[in-house]
Amino acid sequence: MANVERYEAPESLPELTQILAEGPATMFAGGTDVVPQMRVGARPVRPTLININRLADLRGISESNGVVRIGGLTSVADILDCAFLKQVASVVVQAADCFASGQVRNAATLGGNICNASPAGDMIIPLLVLDAEVELASWRNACVARRRMPLCDFFTGPGKTCIEDAEVLAAVQFPVPKPHTVGRFRKFGTRPALDIAVVSVGLAGVKENGCFKDARVAFGAVAPTPIRGRNTEAALVHVELDGDRISDIAQVAEQEVSPISDVRASAWYRTHLIRELMERMLHEVHQTRD
Amino acid sequence: MTALIEKETLIGKRVPKLDAPKKVTGAAQYIHDIELPGMLVGKIRRSERVHARIVRIDTTEAKALPGVHAVLTAADTPGVGLGHGKDNPPLKGDKVRCERDEIAAVAAETEDIAEQALKLIRVEYEDLPAVFSPAEALEDGAPIIHEQHPKNIPFTYDYHHGDVAQGEAESDVVIEDNYRLHFVTHCCMGVSGAIAQFDSEGNLTVHSQTQVPFLYKKEIAPVIAVPPEKIRVIQPVIGGAFGSKLDIYPFEPICIFLARATRRPVRVLFTREEEFLASPTRQPVELVLRSGVKSDGTLTFRNCRTLHDNGGYTSWGATTPFVIMQTISSLYRVPHCQYHTTVVYTNNPYSGSFRGFGNLQATFAVESHMDKLAEAVGMDPLAFRMHNAQQPEETTPQGMVFHTCGLSECLSITTEKSGFLAKHDANRETQAAPTRTGSAVKRGIGMASLLHVGGGAKIYRSDGCGTILKVDDHAHVTVITGSTEIGQGSETVIAQLVGEELGLPVSAITVINSDTEITPWDVGVHASRTTFIAGNSARGAARKARDKLLIAAGEKLKVDPETLDLRKGLVVRSDSGESLLELGKLIRSLHFARKAEVVMTSDYYEPPSVMQDSEFKGDVSASYAFGTQVVELEVDTGTGVIRILKVTSAHDVGKVINALSIEGQIEGGVVMGMGYAIAEHLIVKDGRMKNPSFRDYKLVTAPEIPVVDMHFIETNDPEGPVGAKGVGEAPAICTAAAIVNALYNATGVRFCELPLTPEIVLRGLKQCGGHCP
Amino acid sequence: MKCIKQEISFTLNGGAVCVDVPVTTDTLTMLRDRLKLTGTKYGCGEGECGACTILVDGVAVNACLMFAVDCHGRELTTIEGVQTEDGLSTMQRAFVSCGATQCGFCTPGLIMQGTSLLNRSPDISVEQIKRGIEGNLCRCTGYHKVIDAIATALDSNRSAPKEHS
Repeated sequence: MANVERYEAPESLPELTQILAEGPATMFAGGTDVVPQMRVGARPVRPTLININRLADLRGISESNGVVRIGGLTSVADILDCAFLKQVASVVVQAADCFASGQVRNAATLGGNICNASPAGDMIIPLLVLDAEVELASWRNACVARRRMPLCDFFTGPGKTCIEDAEVLAAVQFPVPKPHTVGRFRKFGTRPALDIAVVSVGLAGVKENGCFKDARVAFGAVAPTPIRGRNTEAALVHVELDGDRISDIAQVAEQEVSPISDVRASAWYRTHLIRELMERMLHEVHQTRD
Repeated sequence: MTALIEKETLIGKRVPKLDAPKKVTGAAQYIHDIELPGMLVGKIRRSERVHARIVRIDTTEAKALPGVHAVLTAADTPGVGLGHGKDNPPLKGDKVRCERDEIAAVAAETEDIAEQALKLIRVEYEDLPAVFSPAEALEDGAPIIHEQHPKNIPFTYDYHHGDVAQGEAESDVVIEDNYRLHFVTHCCMGVSGAIAQFDSEGNLTVHSQTQVPFLYKKEIAPVIAVPPEKIRVIQPVIGGAFGSKLDIYPFEPICIFLARATRRPVRVLFTREEEFLASPTRQPVELVLRSGVKSDGTLTFRNCRTLHDNGGYTSWGATTPFVIMQTISSLYRVPHCQYHTTVVYTNNPYSGSFRGFGNLQATFAVESHMDKLAEAVGMDPLAFRMHNAQQPEETTPQGMVFHTCGLSECLSITTEKSGFLAKHDANRETQAAPTRTGSAVKRGIGMASLLHVGGGAKIYRSDGCGTILKVDDHAHVTVITGSTEIGQGSETVIAQLVGEELGLPVSAITVINSDTEITPWDVGVHASRTTFIAGNSARGAARKARDKLLIAAGEKLKVDPETLDLRKGLVVRSDSGESLLELGKLIRSLHFARKAEVVMTSDYYEPPSVMQDSEFKGDVSASYAFGTQVVELEVDTGTGVIRILKVTSAHDVGKVINALSIEGQIEGGVVMGMGYAIAEHLIVKDGRMKNPSFRDYKLVTAPEIPVVDMHFIETNDPEGPVGAKGVGEAPAICTAAAIVNALYNATGVRFCELPLTPEIVLRGLKQCGGHCP
Repeated sequence: MKCIKQEISFTLNGGAVCVDVPVTTDTLTMLRDRLKLTGTKYGCGEGECGACTILVDGVAVNACLMFAVDCHGRELTTIEGVQTEDGLSTMQRAFVSCGATQCGFCTPGLIMQGTSLLNRSPDISVEQIKRGIEGNLCRCTGYHKVIDAIATALDSNRSAPKEHS
């Protein structure tokens, strides 16, 4: 069994990425996923343990040139409390409100939730519908190199992403949603939070005159990764919503997911819920003034 | 001018728990917090198979690991069985019969070393065919779980009164339904653990969370080959019990074996996952209920057959028929009754006792049937129940004597306060309404009642409890009680009852209740008996002390003791309240007298109940508790999610002693009953638990709780302490039944299974049972 | 698994602490096993029950999910540190008087979470209190008296000065 031989608590991104470049390491910030996973042996132990919680520059929410940037170390509680996000991208805040518990929200980071890559990851769904990109940083040629990729391409399987061993998720960014954007996140459960999503649905798009000009839909816990609902999106745009149309669109959503059965729900129930949640969400959006 | 002292009562007051200050500061010492010098960590290796012969266990590598002090297998132990069926050896040597089975144990310096050592134990199995339901286990040629029970039936229970055939002949309506009740488990917030230590003379001290410290000594003695008189049981503060600590489970003797082998104190502590895997469950029951009624609404007969999935071993779950049959035979007046249970071994987890002890299951079936029968004869659920309700001074055909019975009052007040009848009718109107999106939520209201023992349960020859009481020279009282505090507040109630007799505030009273070397005998904390039995015993001791003090005061003051009273730490004239003498001064004068005396008394209270005869008849409790709960809920017919909005409850509690505590019991019981109905589900597939964590085993959380509107019916039981009855289990018993009735009222769909988790509800509403694609 | 140790120093209940811990140890284990502060409880080890709730820099977290090494340089408050010079804190007194504790095992975590709610905003509704303790499981009380206690403490603290950030 592997041993932990080295512990580092870097305070800057150059420092961190240099350590990452030196060999396999386990990173942690809030610890809310890593600690229990390590305890039960669900996460391989690497020789270096890096506490990235001290990198102040990876924390915070900002906007410039029409792009919203959320540092990878921003806590879910900070997102929940962020007045700016509430105003421009409330769908992210809605998801933060359903996330675990107060104690976990205080410690858990956005980057951690994304990199944990759970098919049910609560924070991933709203970011998918905001067309977010992840920014991955590493040490190259004696300086910090950054690459960006669309969040929807980031996940490769349950717990698996495109991130390389020497990379850290520095930030997530997405364009400031255009005027008249509506965003909704719904997670199915019997509790307001403290629940692994049985399924979740996200929706964002510009709605004018009762009609979506553009739309993005995402589903959680219905595939090996969180997914975009491209067919649902196509069915949704440029359509004047009414009861029948909404029902049709929800049916498209139902048809484009293929969930599994597990201890939390059967595939049948998950599929049903996708339709039900989609339908309710569209009714609610339809009834809300643009 | 002397102050005049008014008589003040402690009864019915909102007295905070005596142990609350140490609990709110983190000072309370639970089993997890005790540190003994040289204490080792004990860990248990459990089976990976559900039914297999153990071919070989190799502990060589584990023993060789530095820091390991002992590795034990069945070969190192006497092999005597534990539990109600004595069929559960602490360490299994021949074969394993369920997932949790203990096959080896390690004592080591640290937790890490102990865990490593467990992994180094090599076990070779030979799989055996397994059975996972009673029906399978009863088939001809089914695999045999225990050789001594070739039909896999360790117990059967039969009860009857009257003649059900006659009852059926007299019936205008007969209905029969199958009910299936699921696995749930206690989920005590403090995980299980024990600490064992031997002294050089072979005396054993066990720090145990047991609910039955005195029976524990007797039960465990043959299993560990230590005579009971050499066993001392110390109970730390217990982090929840609810019946889970009524039986002895293998980890305790294993801990003792490890302590003996290492000559060091050893502690075994569970992880949460282990707590799920290796704790008892509530008894899952398959129950067929057949009931009849005359067109005037009079019940004619009830015939009940149950199959109990016993799991791999026999713990208290197998004995839940004792309680199930009481509700079947006596919650309402039923002239003809027949009851049969077959207890069947399977390779599933095994069940223990759990708050309500079979009564949640029985009440679910009986109260579902009551609603159906009412509807069948065109009566409303309230009138139908009222018509068949037991009344005070009734003796049921099973031999239970209801000296007091507030069932009718409970039915009246809950339905009146909740507006039951009007809502029940209104909801029925909307049952069939279309459920389009946006109007998918329907409302339901339902009711259910309960009967449970309220004055102990004489399942042993004695159902008694002892108390020793002393008053010190500053009028501080120490009450040494045999009873056990598990968080329910018994020590506070005992202090109130003692204070009431001695005219002292609870702050002047210390209750000692945690060490068998000190405390007098008691049966244990179960069957809602502690307030009633230990309360009466404490009261008896306090009355003797009071008599002694008043006689001494009379002599000193040269007045008739009959004219004196004890109030606020003073001896006073009972008519005027005139203060005559400080109590402490009186006691000091006794200590310093020529013929010195201490004020110390004892009392043993034995309730006037009897053991049931071989036909399960007899007045088994000194008093019986009744209650009714009305549940209002919303069900989302698009998702199957149920939200419990309000529970209106009324309980016949005899007399409220501590308003704060009794409210806490009701609120906690209702939420536990609600969890049983709609949230909790221990999923067992092919003998394995699929959700052994709080992530996937859903306890009710704060945002989900309903409003609880509580009413107390005070019937002043003649035998109860100041008129009180036991109420610890009652509030959890009928909530699930009321919920399923409310769900029917909302939707017109009758569910006969639990839990009512969203997917199950939705499937039921879609009328596709368990066969959806 | 073997792992190296790291020396860390932090403030614990107002006093300076310096301790070396294996770098993979969680904060709950450090508090209980190393520092012998057993008021903080293990209930599940995965952040589902809240029995191990402590305050770190005034913010409530699950000690079982936090690496002990991350305590370095920070300020921790555990249940042992919430009493005031006058005795029990407002929250603790409310738990006693409202009957919010039965078996008591979840109580330290609930008091810490309640204290953090009280510090964060003195004016919150009953519904917000319920959401505020959604991460704390209690098997005995059904939460009603816990909610009463937190509401009572909030009431009595509205005019009084803030305690323990």
